[in-house]
Amino acid sequence: MNEIALSEEQRDCLQELINVAMGRASDKLARYLDTFVHLQVPHIDLIASESLPSSFAESYADDGVSLVSQGFYGEDGILGEALLIYRSNDAQGIAEILGYEPDDVSEVEQLTDISSILTTTFLNGLAEQIENQLAYSAPRVVSALETALESHLHQLSFNWDLALKVDISYQVTDYSFNCDMILLIPGEAIQNIQKVLDRILNEF
Amino acid sequence: MSIPVLICDDSTLARKQVKKSLPADWDVTTQFATNGREAVDILRQEKFAVLFLDLTMPELDGIGVLEINKAEKLVDFVIVVSADIQPEMQQKVTELGALAFIQKPVNTNKLSEILQQYGLL
Amino acid sequence: MNAFNIGASLIEKINSGVLVVDESFNITFFNKFMESHCLLKSKDVLTKNLFDVFNDLPEKWLKRKIQSVFMLNTPGFSSWEQRQFVFKMRHARPVTTSSEYMAQNITFLPILADESGSEVEQVCILVEDVTDVCFYQEKLKETLEQLEVVSRTDGLTQVANRRFWEERFEVELETANRYKHPLSLILFDLDKFKQINDTYGHQGGDLVLIEITKFIKKKLRQVDLMGRYGGEEFGIILPNTDAEGAFELADRIRTEFAQFPISFGNHKILATISLGVVEYDPSFDSYEDMVTRADIALYQSKASGRNTTSLYRA
Repeated sequence: MNEIALSEEQRDCLQELINVAMGRASDKLARYLDTFVHLQVPHIDLIASESLPSSFAESYADDGVSLVSQGFYGEDGILGEALLIYRSNDAQGIAEILGYEPDDVSEVEQLTDISSILTTTFLNGLAEQIENQLAYSAPRVVSALETALESHLHQLSFNWDLALKVDISYQVTDYSFNCDMILLIPGEAIQNIQKVLDRILNEF
Repeated sequence: MSIPVLICDDSTLARKQVKKSLPADWDVTTQFATNGREAVDILRQEKFAVLFLDLTMPELDGIGVLEINKAEKLVDFVIVVSADIQPEMQQKVTELGALAFIQKPVNTNKLSEILQQYGLL
Repeated sequence: MNAFNIGASLIEKINSGVLVVDESFNITFFNKFMESHCLLKSKDVLTKNLFDVFNDLPEKWLKRKIQSVFMLNTPGFSSWEQRQFVFKMRHARPVTTSSEYMAQNITFLPILADESGSEVEQVCILVEDVTDVCFYQEKLKETLEQLEVVSRTDGLTQVANRRFWEERFEVELETANRYKHPLSLILFDLDKFKQINDTYGHQGGDLVLIEITKFIKKKLRQVDLMGRYGGEEFGIILPNTDAEGAFELADRIRTEFAQFPISFGNHKILATISLGVVEYDPSFDSYEDMVTRADIALYQSKASGRNTTSLYRA
């Protein structure tokens, strides 16, 4: 299973595609949310399914976090899941950023709404560049503040061994709001992404 | 006589993309730099007419290059090529003397317009 | 029929609502499903404003939602779990479900002015009927809640069972320790319970157990917790209560219960209880320590002739 590896060229290509997608997303988000959205340089990695829970535990050890998941799938076998992670103090005040009346919207709905917006704007920016069209499942809250994320992830059984993992941090400084997005592209879909990257690399 | 052009970006793909997007009828010789530090070193040794500059890079970022260029006047025409297209950033690079700001990936027609506007094409 | 016509005809036949709005929220398309579930005719709603046609929509939220699709060219979602319905629509199970309106999953999809461009011209609102899912989910939730109650309740007396009572005791002990609040325990036991069983049969004995717990429950506060510790032995956790308060309550229960006749067929059963009381002391290592000491006090009550309350003193 560990035969899958990204070549240096493929990694460079993916990084550049993600940078551009992030730039487009932050521009669109800034206009829709009417505030500056900062996205940090992404981190790309391959991760084995068995080490996923512990990698989450390391990053979010002491915090109560909420996790929202949204699936995506496109042409040529491109698919995956985007996980949005919010620390407890960031789950407050999302209604204000979204321009909702706080009483109109439950906290869970604020989380799913902002997650969907962040995920789909970024992924659409990526899809445009690889000339793909993505469809999305509805966002779901996978685990809420009360339950430890690690124990929750341990309960999930994965049907993949290895996944391509991309970490991106969002900051909305006007509202001191932060969240992390983790894209996971599992199993065979990695090879499908690699084909796309090779196609782009051949064009240049 | 062909025009010397330096393309500075840490991404191999991005450098190739910029090179490929240059107008076909523009007679240039291109050279690459993989980060800001390298670009400054090259610019101090050789004369270039145009610098295509990425912003987010290791060692020395695009802003750093613009600051040095403002002080040392290494190259006249700097065109920033960036994924970050938020207005605040555009304003900042213009203040530091960049001629134009182009969104990645570079659109050839848009680039031609800019080059014509400044009499480079 | 060509593919286009098939598509158009299917949209009128599918079991989901399809409506389309333009940038000013005016309705440009309204399928059969919407017509029949909203009791509206397409010809009456087309070109009308969405918020005029449906005047009880959550306007501010829905407008932002639709705007996001126009501005970002991305789909939007609304799930019944967060918002059971957006449109007040009748559902197809009016007889067997209790909910008045159709539970809905909604997808907001961008419709582009031109397929190759990125300018969103209209937004399609796709309404799926998930009343069944919602119905079964509610049932499941109810069942789980019942199961939860059952798993912590003593079947006969409906007070906490030993496992749950001990769990709670541990928590209360920690709280008392942390905040330096007093905490007391009453342990009690029915006197001569074997005799009651022999005289009135197990049904009589069971009734006494049920009646004593009912009798005591009325005298407890919301925060107190009574649990069945053994056959005819019960414990009462009293947070924020010192030895004096606990003893007073215990002795009041004892005297009042001794005068409380329990009707069993033609009989009146007069039963008594013996009680042991202890207040938490930081020198105790665990709740078991408290139980042991309350047990010692309870044994004293039995030894001094039953129908007695004793306080444990170190």
